[in-house]
Amino acid sequence: MLSWIIEFLGAMSLFVAISQLASNRLNLSIKIYQVQSIFLTLSIFTVGIAFNSFELYLSALFNIIIKVFLIPYFLFKIVEKIKIDREVHVYIGITNSLLISVPIVIFSFYITRKIHIPGDIVSLNLLPMSIGILFIGIFIMISRKKAISQIIGFLTFENGIMLAGTSITKGMPLIVETGVFFDVFVGVLMAGVFVYHIRETSLNIDTSKLSNLRE
Amino acid sequence: MMISILILQFLMAIMSYFISLRYLFLTNLLTSGINLFIGFGLVDELMHTNYIFNMHHLLFLDALNGFLVFIILILNFLVSIYSIAYLKKEMENRLENKKVNEFYFYTNMFVFVMLIVAMSNNFGILWIAIEGTTLTTAFLISFYKNKESIEAGWKYIILCSLGIGLGLFGVIILYFTSFHFLGESLDALNYTNLYSIAPKLDKKLLILSFIFFIVGFGTKVGFAPLHFWLPDAHSQAPTPISALMSGVLLNCAFYSIIRMESIVNYSYHDTTHVISYMLVFFGILTLLVSAIFIIKQPDYKRLLAYSSMEHMGLIAFAFGLNSRLGIIAGVFHMLNHALAKTSIFMNVGNILLNFHTKEFSNIKGLFKVMPYTAILLMLSILAITGTPPFSLFISEIFMIMNSIQIGHIGYSIIILSLLVVIFAGFIYQFIGMLGGDSELKFKEDMILLFPSFIALIFLCILTFYIPEPLKILMDRIPSIVGVEK
Repeated sequence: MLSWIIEFLGAMSLFVAISQLASNRLNLSIKIYQVQSIFLTLSIFTVGIAFNSFELYLSALFNIIIKVFLIPYFLFKIVEKIKIDREVHVYIGITNSLLISVPIVIFSFYITRKIHIPGDIVSLNLLPMSIGILFIGIFIMISRKKAISQIIGFLTFENGIMLAGTSITKGMPLIVETGVFFDVFVGVLMAGVFVYHIRETSLNIDTSKLSNLRE
Repeated sequence: MMISILILQFLMAIMSYFISLRYLFLTNLLTSGINLFIGFGLVDELMHTNYIFNMHHLLFLDALNGFLVFIILILNFLVSIYSIAYLKKEMENRLENKKVNEFYFYTNMFVFVMLIVAMSNNFGILWIAIEGTTLTTAFLISFYKNKESIEAGWKYIILCSLGIGLGLFGVIILYFTSFHFLGESLDALNYTNLYSIAPKLDKKLLILSFIFFIVGFGTKVGFAPLHFWLPDAHSQAPTPISALMSGVLLNCAFYSIIRMESIVNYSYHDTTHVISYMLVFFGILTLLVSAIFIIKQPDYKRLLAYSSMEHMGLIAFAFGLNSRLGIIAGVFHMLNHALAKTSIFMNVGNILLNFHTKEFSNIKGLFKVMPYTAILLMLSILAITGTPPFSLFISEIFMIMNSIQIGHIGYSIIILSLLVVIFAGFIYQFIGMLGGDSELKFKEDMILLFPSFIALIFLCILTFYIPEPLKILMDRIPSIVGVEK
């Protein structure tokens, strides 16, 4: 039962990551990210209940504070402040992206089919799901032009990693998780500052226009 | 003693944000000097024992990371001398006082997290600290806040965070292999614990984890298909930071790959397995790409960035040989490259300060304009391309000799020919800048020349005489990496 619930939550995270590919507005993308973080938190929380582990409750708490509230709040604020058009500009259109997500997911199930993890684990099926989220995150980063979309791609990617880190087993050591949360949070803040600067120096945040440095 | 270095460095970082500039330069120099001194003490302590532990086994030092700490502290000292004069000169060019504080804050933080990378005994903390180096240097790269540097900083933070994210996945997979044996706690990621149970670990997962490590942390090292941030970042950062990034940051990132390699080596009984081929492959590919870009590079700081890639490729190749001599050569090359790269970056930094251009074609007659800088630059070019009186020659020749011994004759030929191409590229590019005639005359600041001079002297001495402590450390490293013969 427990592994069923966790697998369901993991599958929902993957589903939300795929629906991220279909969003055409920056605000919607941020909201989708928020939903994905909620599923991630629920998954961590469920594992926490199952093993009655204080560390996992704490990690779920961090997750909800940082990923559901602080980071999306900050991203909304940037979008509001830089006053650009809110559309997501893409290299690869929405339909094609969704089609590409199919082989990505199949591929991630394919490469993990023979992996065996010694010791007691919650659910091995989460490994291909989290690898799928990870690849979709990378795909968002390479197929979107705007700087904020790329940040969201990175965050999706990072959620995939956290899903693998917290839900396949009873979670990573708390110090490591805290450090990862801290680094991601500061990283996003700094990337946000860079978005401002890019806006100031080149009047938009389209990264395809960043081409001063090339061979 | 490890803790005192860390605390001192951290306090210095916090302080440098607040104290006035009058004291800042000297305090910084003093701190780096004291830290170097304590570092000598640590190396001395390592002579008598194989491991030093600290803070409930969270910090530890053996020959491998002792060597790395030594490199970090030496370069930090040289750079802190250099940055005094560099920043004073920049302040004449209207750099605000606040920016100087900021510069020192980020630089000291950067050194602090690198020291944590080097001293931690844990893959989790290692990962956090490596990500920390990305965060602390991102604003240093965009220090001048112009269009190019913002672009470089953006590329850097996005690409490196992504790369290191993949590295985190490698760490997680490593945790999956080990938590069954070591319990679900921080211990499951300690190097020393992992070494002791390495033969029991699941080989397939270990290899998978190593692949994520080499791709993830390899982004930070600048291995070839993942290097796109590197020339931008190294060329846009202020010169002292370029020197630190090329000299130590790349080594720190590569160090994490070495740790993982050593665990795989311990887990297998022989040392010829797939990971050594991966390292050799990335090494040669990186060398090839850097050689191509060095020949046709119009910008001298970018050229040096590509040269850093070249040397990281060589080091990766040396470690990929997975034999005793190869690893000693690789470690020795880390030290040599760090010193030589710092020296050459400092010299081109002097040129940049006076000419305000990074193009080769806009500068000529350096021997007339800035004679001392030009002489040191010429010597540094000879050093970095591995010409005899300097010790890079020794480490490179050891690598090649070893790879021929093992039977990789094809690889040796490729590497030698690429090294020749790079040598030719360097001479061809720089000779136009050094020679020729010019009316200009700039005053040269001795403080700007001094660190580079020291580094070159060291490089010369290391060719003929390696001090006993370093020799002992280098001698122990192959068995730490898990190679006996």
